[in-house]
Amino acid sequence: MTVRQERLPQSDAWVIAITDRLDQTQIPKLEETLKVLLDDGHYHLVVDLSQTSYINSGGLRCLVSAWRRAKTNQGSLVLCGLNSRLQEIFSMVGFDKVFDIHEDCETARTQAKSKART
Amino acid sequence: MPLVSIDMSAVFSINMGGERSLTVPGRYKEIKRICEFVAAGAAQAGFDEEAIFHLELCCDEASTNIIEHAYGGEDGGDITISYKIGEDDFTIVICDQGATFDPGLVPSPPTIDADEDSLDEVINQLRIGGLGLHFIRNLMDEVHFSSDRQKGNELVMVKKLDSKPGKETS
Repeated sequence: MTVRQERLPQSDAWVIAITDRLDQTQIPKLEETLKVLLDDGHYHLVVDLSQTSYINSGGLRCLVSAWRRAKTNQGSLVLCGLNSRLQEIFSMVGFDKVFDIHEDCETARTQAKSKART
Repeated sequence: MPLVSIDMSAVFSINMGGERSLTVPGRYKEIKRICEFVAAGAAQAGFDEEAIFHLELCCDEASTNIIEHAYGGEDGGDITISYKIGEDDFTIVICDQGATFDPGLVPSPPTIDADEDSLDEVINQLRIGGLGLHFIRNLMDEVHFSSDRQKGNELVMVKKLDSKPGKETS
């Protein structure tokens, strides 16, 4: 798994893209990436899951904790690009009602960019 | 029980009844091997990719709970997983020698609204393994748990070969 981060131009919004399996061995890498961004005061985040093939409850925990922290600081954490299996996992526990989920990552990026324009 | 193969950290065996079994150390990186082992059996049993994904997720969640709660962290003991392909079902048994963890005592996750109190409860549930158990209860047709001081903990999960996810739990 890789976790890639990218700042969107002319904004303080960041995209975090995760590839392959988001399982217990890889969750610390994502947790650390999100923690560093949030610690530095970047509260508008887009998590791109379009290349993510698998997620477990630990991955959900990591994402919901970061979402909570962003929201507490008047920010946002939106998800995009979930495949049908990931969508099923999110809806099975009601997280599809908690997160702002975009099918299309470009839409999510545009929205985050406009919220966090510098 | 004839031994088929041994590598540095895992023991794989097949018994006379056709039950295949794998024992690995209780470490997070071994969970992928557990998932691949079960996925191979599930494919042989004839499950489609969606069902195999569900079975992998259930084995991942059960193994994670063992490491986190029964063993209190990595390297607390071994995890043995076995499966058997029946005429109309696929049975997975996961065993450990850790502290008793009765899934029956873990409540289902609360209904989620995007409000603060509900989310606090959900985050707490996530910490104690509640969501993993929620997946297991929803994606398997039968779930049984038993604990014995000598034999350790045993989680039995059954999935029917021609069924949609069910909720029968004991």
